[in-house]
Amino acid sequence: MKTTLHRIAFTALATAISTSALAEDPLRIGAATYGLQGEFMQLWSNALEAHPAVLSGDVEVTVFDGRYDALVQSNQFDSMITRQYDAILFVPIDADACVAPVIKASAAGIPVVGSNTRCNTDQLASFVGSDDVLAGQMVAQQVIDQIGDNGKVVVLEGPIGQSAQIDRGEGIDKVLAENPGIEVLERRTANWSRAEALSLMENWLTAHRDEIGGVIAQNDEMAIGAIQAIIASGRSPNDIAIAGVDGITDALKAVTQEQMATILQDATAQAQGALDVALARLGKADEVPLSDIWERYPELEWAGGEADTYNIPWTLVDQDNVAELLEQRQ
Amino acid sequence: MSTPLLHAEGIAKSFSGVPALTNGQLSLRAGTVHALCGGNGAGKSTLLNVLMGILQRDAGYVQIDGREVNFPSPHDALDTGIAMISQELEPVPDMTVAENIFLGREPRLMGALVDHRRMRLQAEQLLRELELHLPANARLGSLSIADMQMVEIARAISRDARVIIMDEPTSAIGERETELLFAAVERLKARGTGIIYVSHRMNELYRIADDYTIMRDGTFIETGAMADIDRHRLITTVLGKELDEEYAKYNRPGADTLLEVDDYGRGKDFERVSLDLKAGEILGIFGLMGSGRSEFLDALFGAAPAERGSARLRGAPFQPREPGDAMRAGIAYVTEDRKGSGLVMGASIKRNVTLASIPDVARNSLIHEGMEDAVATPFVERLQIKASSLDMPVKQMSGGNQQKVVLAKWLQTQPSILLLDEPTRGVDVGAKREIYAFMSEFARDDRAIIMTSSEIPEVLGMSDRVIVFRKGRISGELHGDELTQENLVRLSS
Amino acid sequence: MNQASSSATPTTSATDHRNRITGFLSDYGIIVAFIVLCVILSVVSPYFLGVNNLLNVLRQVSINGVLAIGMTFVILTRGIDLSVGSMMAFAAMVAASFAVVDSGMPLIVPLTLGLAAGLALGCVNGVMVARFAIPPFVMTLGMLSMARGLTYIYSDGMPISSLSPSFLWLGQGMVVGIPVPVILFAAVFMLAWFTLRYTTFGRYVYAVGGNPTAARLSGIKVSRITFSVYAISGLLCGLAGLMIAARTSAALPQAGVAYELDAIAAVVIGGTSLAGGKGRIVGTLFGVLIIGVINNGLDLLGVSSFYQQLVKGAIIVVAVMLDRSRLSNT
Repeated sequence: MKTTLHRIAFTALATAISTSALAEDPLRIGAATYGLQGEFMQLWSNALEAHPAVLSGDVEVTVFDGRYDALVQSNQFDSMITRQYDAILFVPIDADACVAPVIKASAAGIPVVGSNTRCNTDQLASFVGSDDVLAGQMVAQQVIDQIGDNGKVVVLEGPIGQSAQIDRGEGIDKVLAENPGIEVLERRTANWSRAEALSLMENWLTAHRDEIGGVIAQNDEMAIGAIQAIIASGRSPNDIAIAGVDGITDALKAVTQEQMATILQDATAQAQGALDVALARLGKADEVPLSDIWERYPELEWAGGEADTYNIPWTLVDQDNVAELLEQRQ
Repeated sequence: MSTPLLHAEGIAKSFSGVPALTNGQLSLRAGTVHALCGGNGAGKSTLLNVLMGILQRDAGYVQIDGREVNFPSPHDALDTGIAMISQELEPVPDMTVAENIFLGREPRLMGALVDHRRMRLQAEQLLRELELHLPANARLGSLSIADMQMVEIARAISRDARVIIMDEPTSAIGERETELLFAAVERLKARGTGIIYVSHRMNELYRIADDYTIMRDGTFIETGAMADIDRHRLITTVLGKELDEEYAKYNRPGADTLLEVDDYGRGKDFERVSLDLKAGEILGIFGLMGSGRSEFLDALFGAAPAERGSARLRGAPFQPREPGDAMRAGIAYVTEDRKGSGLVMGASIKRNVTLASIPDVARNSLIHEGMEDAVATPFVERLQIKASSLDMPVKQMSGGNQQKVVLAKWLQTQPSILLLDEPTRGVDVGAKREIYAFMSEFARDDRAIIMTSSEIPEVLGMSDRVIVFRKGRISGELHGDELTQENLVRLSS
Repeated sequence: MNQASSSATPTTSATDHRNRITGFLSDYGIIVAFIVLCVILSVVSPYFLGVNNLLNVLRQVSINGVLAIGMTFVILTRGIDLSVGSMMAFAAMVAASFAVVDSGMPLIVPLTLGLAAGLALGCVNGVMVARFAIPPFVMTLGMLSMARGLTYIYSDGMPISSLSPSFLWLGQGMVVGIPVPVILFAAVFMLAWFTLRYTTFGRYVYAVGGNPTAARLSGIKVSRITFSVYAISGLLCGLAGLMIAARTSAALPQAGVAYELDAIAAVVIGGTSLAGGKGRIVGTLFGVLIIGVINNGLDLLGVSSFYQQLVKGAIIVVAVMLDRSRLSNT
């Protein structure tokens, strides 16, 4: 208790006189995630812990589990503001519910860097993420490239109303509009869930028999559920074009068996990039080590950390790069 | 005769095609108590429920002051000035006495808020009038059952009801409360209120009723002035047949001591209870509500084990920690609350009969339905249980038949000691006699009965010896000539 | 008593007739409702009655079915088990961790440990409810959260996949054309039906639910029975855990969220009274099937999942309404 108080007092003092020298105590960065219960956010937070500035001890990160609840996230913001964190990395559960906490934090002088999921406010210091509309376009294009200009597809969507569902859906719509020969047989939510997608796909296979030529899934879990339904029905997933988004480990394995395609969302780049930008906004970019993502994606302009938005590119996972990606997961 | 306050005629009502009432008739004069008599299943409750608007009649008419009325709901009956105090209490235990009395018609402040002060004052005045020493702001759940019943009565009176239906109002209350109730009834009569009174206790009817109506098998039989019918004719008319002597007693206590209890005690419920039970004996335990009599039986059965003292059964130490212990030692316990702790109301007769002896009807843990029928069938005949089938749910049976099912359940465990707590509560006259006959038949050879009852004639009629409980202790023991009403009342209060 | 009835109640025979019909409907109403539903669905969808589709339905309901059977035991004793979804997820995770391809464990190890994990948690519920008199709602609500927490702790929030083919057979295999999960569900159903109908234990369960006080005073060890039903529910959660992991080829930490609702719904639709002591396992079977057929049918017809929820909820309410009217009739 005493040391905590001391630390808070010290940080406040240090901030107040804006010491030019490297602070004795590490910078305290809070990471507010929407929830740690999925593989993607696990990869994201693991990447954060592996950031060179964290490893060197210059930065101390605390990861908060938002438990998929906007209210929980808002409360966590309150405590981060009270405890005067130096900066906050924010992966909101909802693009609108996140606005109030961000305004509160920036009013308290704490820069908030968004990551992965968008927040509908101009108060974010910056946003480091990937463009979900683009992902939607890519996943739809993958399927259409395989089945040609004419064919019938089904679309598995995320929970209705979530921003990723809306944006990826928009991307899918764009591509479908450009391809009038493609007929959408069914379009339903399976709530990002493998088990739900499995049952749904089983029933669609019954209703549409062999008509289904492609499965456009807004995430990999649902794509894998669809593959399992296809196998269970005695068909081969190699005969149906299936694509998902995210690049979770099971999806990478499925790619090696040529059962599907996936669009890798780079959790490492999103997490570490956000921390890099936060450090730049705190004026520490020159004093502490930054991540190597800027070298890995040459098309990504660092711009001294001053840009409003950093769009981490999506990577199409195919036979060429899947082995290497799987290796990184081990 | 002037226009009756309430007149009903030709009332009929069927349930699922089975007629419960075919010709209900009743004429109540203002300022009188009218005894409605009949065995269980005679149709009394159905008639009363029709009068209260709880059930809708299929045929017949009801008049108040000579004008025909129709009550689609109990609320309409209440508005017209008919109130009922039923066998089943329906209080709200978490509300205060005053709130219960004025439930649904609380005095208002500015039309919307409850005027708690006025409500309390009115309740206090009412309780004073009835000579009830109950705090108006006490939580109802904290009161005894008897006091709760008195609150129900106060509630009916407070409605200024012109007709009050009292269905077995004294079945759960003691002597003192009964006296208070009768005093209240006298005051109501003086105010011109008419009271329909149902009770299986003949003594009460002769004390307070002016007129009577007898029903049997869902039909009106006869009506008249109470003064014109003697006890014997009343009972035979209710039953439709001649009766044996009311308290049949053939058992003779032997010399052998079956059970010895030494210095039993538990918490504040009872203490320093020592007694013995002879083979072939019916030992009566008399005491008011709260005297510790039921709690003592609970302890003997291991349902709530004694904390102090010891007991010996046929000379061997006996220390029941749970009902199973007592059952293995040959003890059976018919509790006072049939519905609450005796029967599974939704289950069939057969299943209730075998409830305490399920392993007996099973081989290798598998239920053998043939054995189950074989076990249950003889009891139907032996105890004269009236039922269309062994698969009938017990909740559809009358109180007397339910009580016989409880007895059958325990007889199947082949007990040598029967603990009976209020064995005839809510049981009609005919079934009562059958139960008495069964008791005297049971208490023979090396078997014995301990019976508690709050009905003095029953205690005096059936017991070979009576032990009186008062405030958790034994206040006296009565034999032979000492067995009188005066002695029981003196020792118990 | 019967003699006078003809004159007083001329409608006797009509009401009697009507009563016989309602009596039949209340005893077999659930089966009638199921058949009506099937007839309607086979008329509006040509695929519904196909053998493959019916097998799909059975496969889809088997997990909820196993959970609902355990739930029936619990509800018959006036209890409730809100923790089934979480306990299932935990058991799935434990089993999967010993079933990964390169673990080299014989199949018996994950099977035993999965069942044991469910049983252990069920026993905790049982001890707390039976011995320490914690209200079932409270205890299992606590377990709902605790078991989910254990699942995340055990898995670090990451899914476990790459399960051995012999393990996957439990969820995806077939025996003489019948899916293995369906066989497991059928076996559990038969066992439960036999237990409740023919064993002393079954009789004790009904007695304890019908009137616990009377049961105790009749020498039945009420707390032992109460403990047992929660243990049974836990054990069946273990089995369901094996089934879901094998069906989805992975144990997912967020699996089974809100599954308790479907299990309770099936039991209630099946006519088992939440007040205890009354109900049949056959009812639960049809409750499970009705929910499954509705989901399947609406999928086949391409109806939005929003309506599925609406319909399912309405059916629960109607089922209880029928139950009430039956109670007030007697």
